[in-house]
Amino acid sequence: MLWNYLKIAWKVLLRRKFFTAISLFGISFTLMILLVVYALFDYTVGPHQPEMRTDRLLFASRMEYQYKDGGVNRSSLGYAFLDRHARPLRTPENVSISESNWSEAVAYVGNQTLKLDQKRTDSEFWQVLNFTFVAGRPYNLREVRDGAHVAVINETTSRHYFGTTQGVVGRPLVLDSRAYQVVGVVRDVPLLRFSCYADVWLPVTTTTDDLRNPDYMGRYQVILLARSAADVPRVQQEYEQMIAHQPVPDPKQFKQIGSHALLLRTAVLSRFARGSQGPGSDQPILRLMLMLALLFMLLPALNLVNINVSRTLERSSEIGVRKAFGATAGRLVGQFLVENIFLTLVGGVLGLALAAGALHLLNESQFLPYSEFGLNGRVFGMALGIVLFFGVLSGAYPAYKMSKLQAVKALKGDTAA
Amino acid sequence: MLKHLFTLIWNRKRANALLIVEIFLAFVVLFVVGSLLVYRWQNYRAPLGFAYEQVWVVDLDPGMQPKAERYATQQQVIQRIKSLPGVRAVTRTSSNTPFSNSHNSSDINRPGEHIRRPASNVYDLDDAAGDVLSIPVEEGRWFDRRDDGALVAVISHDMKELLFPNETALGKLVEANGNRRIVGVTAPYRADGDFADPKQAIFLRNGLQDTTFDHLQTLLLRVQPGAGGALEKQISADIRAIGAGWSSNITPLSEAREKQMKTVLTPLVALVITCVFLIVNVALGLFGVLWQTINQRRSEIGLRRAIGASAGGISGQILGEILVVATFGLALGLLAAAQFPLLGVLGVRVGVYLTAMALAAGLVYLLTVVCALYPSRLAAGIQPAVALREE
Repeated sequence: MLWNYLKIAWKVLLRRKFFTAISLFGISFTLMILLVVYALFDYTVGPHQPEMRTDRLLFASRMEYQYKDGGVNRSSLGYAFLDRHARPLRTPENVSISESNWSEAVAYVGNQTLKLDQKRTDSEFWQVLNFTFVAGRPYNLREVRDGAHVAVINETTSRHYFGTTQGVVGRPLVLDSRAYQVVGVVRDVPLLRFSCYADVWLPVTTTTDDLRNPDYMGRYQVILLARSAADVPRVQQEYEQMIAHQPVPDPKQFKQIGSHALLLRTAVLSRFARGSQGPGSDQPILRLMLMLALLFMLLPALNLVNINVSRTLERSSEIGVRKAFGATAGRLVGQFLVENIFLTLVGGVLGLALAAGALHLLNESQFLPYSEFGLNGRVFGMALGIVLFFGVLSGAYPAYKMSKLQAVKALKGDTAA
Repeated sequence: MLKHLFTLIWNRKRANALLIVEIFLAFVVLFVVGSLLVYRWQNYRAPLGFAYEQVWVVDLDPGMQPKAERYATQQQVIQRIKSLPGVRAVTRTSSNTPFSNSHNSSDINRPGEHIRRPASNVYDLDDAAGDVLSIPVEEGRWFDRRDDGALVAVISHDMKELLFPNETALGKLVEANGNRRIVGVTAPYRADGDFADPKQAIFLRNGLQDTTFDHLQTLLLRVQPGAGGALEKQISADIRAIGAGWSSNITPLSEAREKQMKTVLTPLVALVITCVFLIVNVALGLFGVLWQTINQRRSEIGLRRAIGASAGGISGQILGEILVVATFGLALGLLAAAQFPLLGVLGVRVGVYLTAMALAAGLVYLLTVVCALYPSRLAAGIQPAVALREE
């Protein structure tokens, strides 16, 4: 049965090549655009190197002071504060404190200026996150404690500064006129990974910043690794309790302080959301994205409906014959839906190919530094979901309209129904 | 004739509903994207009000140096940089340098006046800033030695229009950190960037007695044409040599501008690509549906030809019909689009919405005409004898 439907669908597609081309164009480009957007999204918040364990990692990079008269002051956190209160937390398996943003440092190769993004971290940073080391090793606890001038660099920096990624370990890198010994080379980390992106990572103790400053606000973030995904809420709870126990800095001016440990997706999306930064704060923006995607699909879907209506009405005599021989309306609707889903699936395959091409172009252009967008299982799943949704969305109305045709009229070729 | 066409379409409104919705959506998409593009384009066309070539921004980071010593060190740094051969002029400024996406805005009024006006950009600069940024002065003069010990300000053309619409601003007072006497009026100054909305600006002079470092830790310098990496290296080495623990970050303004442009243009380009795709989609769909309709109405058209309608008349009717459908869609679309300026959805000027409406309406008509041309010629070519025999 299904096989017959598919054969008919194929023949119909070949009969009116122009219409087929229009439909396929609409479907494949819609899908391409949605897939590219989703791939960017997945690349930003999905599990990718070096944040592989996204279900267990929690990020706290914001401290907010709520003013009595309603305003909010947000900033990153202070080092001494985190070191004293976040490091001893009991529920996480491991805790890492690092600078929340990268800063620019300058190195010179001959007379050429090389601007490098640097981030200062502790040694736990390398245990909590899964960097891929091409050569060497991360700096360790002792080196961080002693403020050793050591550095981990990424492949591109290694290539630009030393001309090679081989045998770089142990050589000096002069950054802002200070010499650091390279101890490790890692694979490039894309810019979209805000929390860990850098060109050069240095021990936090090499900073000129005052690490003993007890202010709540500063330039640091904390990354907590929960023991398991199920343990995440407990870690979040312990972190929030710790914050709740801190005295409010200036009770006359501020009502309360707040800071949250968030999963990667929430942490990234809540940067774009206004208002509170709590654990559920990514929901509004996710809903907005979903709505925009639906709105975006509306026009191509309408177009497909229009074309499908003309196409089915053209086949009214075929429908009349089938009805006259006893096919029920439900059967016919089923057949047309299958045909339409078949069409959208063909478009889907094209769309995937187009998306792969578009992402490849984006990577080649290095539009976003170090990006390696690609299609993966999640993107495929998303594509399949969109295609089925799209197929049903655009196939339902024409099929319904067609099933209402009366056999006698349809046989006469009267399509005014 | 026109009335007749409207009746024809109105009678087939169920059949045309989908087309109308499609045109409506296409119009709304074109309108929204058009508004954003027109807005950005108009801003881009306006002059910046300063020159950014050969201007470098030097961000200074004093590290752990005690606050009391920072000002003196910065003065040494400035003297040193001034003496370098490739440097023409140096000014101290707060962090809201051009293209930096950093703003310092506040409500500026005439003394004793309390009218709510759009916020103004406030820039803290020195006497040399006029040379560094080549700011064109329309009236009066830029700051100089004569202003020592006095509270003075220079305002931009748009602020003059706002605060002193029908009078000269020179010598009048404005309230910005105390009452200040206006000594000059510059052309509109748009340091927020090429695509940003013009905003009125006020320049405050850093007096000699202003010995704080914290809000003026950035330097702007004009360098000789052709200065490059060597000078940059020299400056950053000098800064480190003068201040223990100091570091600096040197960025040419042209680089900052490119970076800012990239962040503004990327979403626009993505939007335009999406919009073009949607419109092509609509066009193809329209074309397909029209073609189909012509095939369905062969007998009707054949009959009209048989009783004397000319080929031009037939194609005119087909074109007219689709234009009427487009008009229905547009009417709905204009209703929706009219909500935008009323609710201020996109936050752009009202004139921009009107331009975008006209543009979008024109494009939709153009689109429908282009899509209908071939089907209408097809219809005009129908032979009455052939069409009627099929009946």
